[in-house]
Amino acid sequence: MSARSHASRRTLVNGAIGIVGVIILWEAAARLLDLPVYVLPSVSRILAAIVAQHQLLWNAALMTMWEAIAGFFAGSAVGIVLAIALTMMPRARRVLLPMATALNSVPVVAYAPLILLWFGIGPTSKIVMVAIAVGFTVFLHALSGLDRVDRRAVDLMRSFGASPAAIIWRLRVPAAIPLTAAGMRVSTVRAMIVAIVTEMLGATGGLGWTIFQAVLQIDFVQVWAAIFVASAISLVFFGGVNMLEKRYVFWK
Amino acid sequence: MSAAAAALRPAAMSVLRGAAALLVVAALWEGLVIATGVRPYYLPRLSVILQSIAQVPDAYIAGFLRTASETLLGFSVGAVVGVFNGVVFSQSRRLREIIFPLFVISQTIPVIAFGAVVVLWFGNTILAKAVIAFYLTFFPVTVNTLNGIESVDPRQVDLLRSFGASRFKLMRQLLLPAALPQIFVALRLACTLSLLGAIAGEWFGDTVGLGVLLLQAMYNEQVVALWAAILVAGLLGTTFYGLVALAEKKFVFWKAEQT
Amino acid sequence: MTIRRLLTLLACTATLAVAQLTPAAAADAKAQVKASLRLKWLPQTQFAGFYYALEKGYYKQEGIDLTINPGGPNLLTENLVATGADTFGLSGGSDSVMAAIDKGMPIVSVGVAHQITPFVFVTRKDGPVKTLKDFEGKKVTTWFTGANYVLFGMLGNEGIDRAKVDIQPQQVSVTPFVNGDIDVVTATWYNELNTIKGRMRADDLKYFVAEDYGITFPRDTLIVSRDTAAKQPQLVEGFLRASIRGWRDAMANPKEAVDIVMKTSPTLDRAHQEAMLTEAYRLMTSGKAKTEGLFTIDPVALQKAEEFLLKNNVLTKKVDVSVAFDDRFLKAIPMQDRLP
Repeated sequence: MSARSHASRRTLVNGAIGIVGVIILWEAAARLLDLPVYVLPSVSRILAAIVAQHQLLWNAALMTMWEAIAGFFAGSAVGIVLAIALTMMPRARRVLLPMATALNSVPVVAYAPLILLWFGIGPTSKIVMVAIAVGFTVFLHALSGLDRVDRRAVDLMRSFGASPAAIIWRLRVPAAIPLTAAGMRVSTVRAMIVAIVTEMLGATGGLGWTIFQAVLQIDFVQVWAAIFVASAISLVFFGGVNMLEKRYVFWK
Repeated sequence: MSAAAAALRPAAMSVLRGAAALLVVAALWEGLVIATGVRPYYLPRLSVILQSIAQVPDAYIAGFLRTASETLLGFSVGAVVGVFNGVVFSQSRRLREIIFPLFVISQTIPVIAFGAVVVLWFGNTILAKAVIAFYLTFFPVTVNTLNGIESVDPRQVDLLRSFGASRFKLMRQLLLPAALPQIFVALRLACTLSLLGAIAGEWFGDTVGLGVLLLQAMYNEQVVALWAAILVAGLLGTTFYGLVALAEKKFVFWKAEQT
Repeated sequence: MTIRRLLTLLACTATLAVAQLTPAAAADAKAQVKASLRLKWLPQTQFAGFYYALEKGYYKQEGIDLTINPGGPNLLTENLVATGADTFGLSGGSDSVMAAIDKGMPIVSVGVAHQITPFVFVTRKDGPVKTLKDFEGKKVTTWFTGANYVLFGMLGNEGIDRAKVDIQPQQVSVTPFVNGDIDVVTATWYNELNTIKGRMRADDLKYFVAEDYGITFPRDTLIVSRDTAAKQPQLVEGFLRASIRGWRDAMANPKEAVDIVMKTSPTLDRAHQEAMLTEAYRLMTSGKAKTEGLFTIDPVALQKAEEFLLKNNVLTKKVDVSVAFDDRFLKAIPMQDRLP
């Protein structure tokens, strides 16, 4: 037990070393090279701006978080359901999978103008965009996971007279959870990014909108402040899903 | 002769099936729009969209090729670097613990913000877009390579080691091949991401490319042109994805199963 | 075995793609200075004169090997010129230039294209908004990239409290206005207004013009870095000369000018671009430009704009208009060559 906590503490220390190292390099570069603010502001200035503007940034963050989280869960749910449905209908799968992959091959940002036209520039359009982006990733991962079952186990259950539905639920779904969880984990950060990118094309609030406004108001410190906040939130989101995964997917 | 034909048949069949599915979708699209009378502002007829492409084919072809080369460049370099990172991290725990969090953080920076900086540094060159595509590719490949290597049965590793296999041999003969399925999952994901990066990168003052066509159509409120750009982007994405999937079938001819 | 093949395949792909990177053979350097012009937006006939001059070789004749780089929603021309990424810029307007200088960017404006405000506020003739005072309590959308200042100025000059007006960021599309969800929409004379007129009848529209309420915001400012202005005055002069020539000839041959722009962006709508060219030129030949030439710098209008921006806290301190806007280079070109 103590060996484990020692190892995890060392992981944290090493991680901190990396991050602190980059921050020091950044601060040094900005100060020593006397970089103008519009090229790269120093970390201290950015942090100061975050503190000064914390109300504005927090409001923007709340909106983006809402869009990201709502879209994340909606997309994941749809992705998982679709994956299970397609696995249960192998014939439909052969027809629909290529079409789904084709749809997925259109990069999500290409849909943004269309979604903005259809759903307006409010949060709904961002939630839809995030759901699409997350949904496909989770769908593909879940599908792959459902496939990863040992053939022999399937045959064994069949020989015992198990119905296809039972095979799905008892055997495939549990086996698919690690890969699905991995897909969800990867999607957490994408959720925030898609929300922000969509906001930059048209929005009434949120971190992406803040960045857009800040660029036009030539307030680059604000741009970086918003980026820092967005990063931090993505990390928390990522860490949260990671933790949930570790607790509930304790076998790998 | 018959062996080659037998090998080709399933590939030909799937292409035919794909083409048939496309035709069905095309017919449905056209029929649906005509039947429901949806305003072209929301969903134009497929025939109208195809016509608009036919009127200025050069723009779409040039855009397709430009975006394709940006994507390919970023993807291939990102894939190589990703695999390299994964291998390195699997060997050095210390390096992984120091650098991995930085990678994770780097991935949380929205592409758009990154894009503005990249354009400042590299101008409107193919390199700039490729850099963004690379940036979005290397991380999932790194993660999956690492995962794939680490998920190899430790008993197999011990077995090979007991036969005196060097680290290098171990990597080449056992670990990397075993990680291939996972790597390809990431590659399939990355091919869409790299295309996304290339397209988003073109939004920063570029002149040729599918992303440029998308942006112009959006800001000039040309819905037909918007759909046209989406379709061509979809064509590029699907082709690319298909190529990667084909490569996967060739190189990963076994399905990894949990034993 | 398979790994090697896979890596070889990847390497081949990468090499093939890298081959695309090798730049084309350098054009013969006949004392040609390489320079770039960054536009404020995507290619359209709003910038026809520059494309015309490029196509006809006017820049080459001035010894400039010019590349025109389009702008876009995520680019700030002032930034790109200040960092040296681009030599010249056609930037947002007097407001963005002064704001940039206020923030310490080392740029200077050497010419102003649009002499009068390009923005107009459009509403339905039969709608609830009949006078500026009626803006109160109504949904007004505008762009917070400069047009908002025009709106604030107009409301302020009429003593209307802008907090009483429901001002929202404008969508990419004019559809909400056409559908009636928005009462007043912001448009540019040369772009969105044409789109609106294409979907509604021109007779159904009512305009609120900034100049009628004492507000003038000259826009589409030509900028260079302070460095370029100090060290390469000939370059700036040559650029201005060729650009003015390009604009004059573009207006003498409008169809050809539209053709040239359409060549760069074949998916544009031709009719829209033709209307845009006419309107853009009208803005360029209004005010002082009629008598003093294209791109003329009007210190009176700019001073008023500066005071307005200072009052509204867009600027943190006074900006010296005579330093921010330098017409030395324009004045070096004989007047008759500059008249429209």
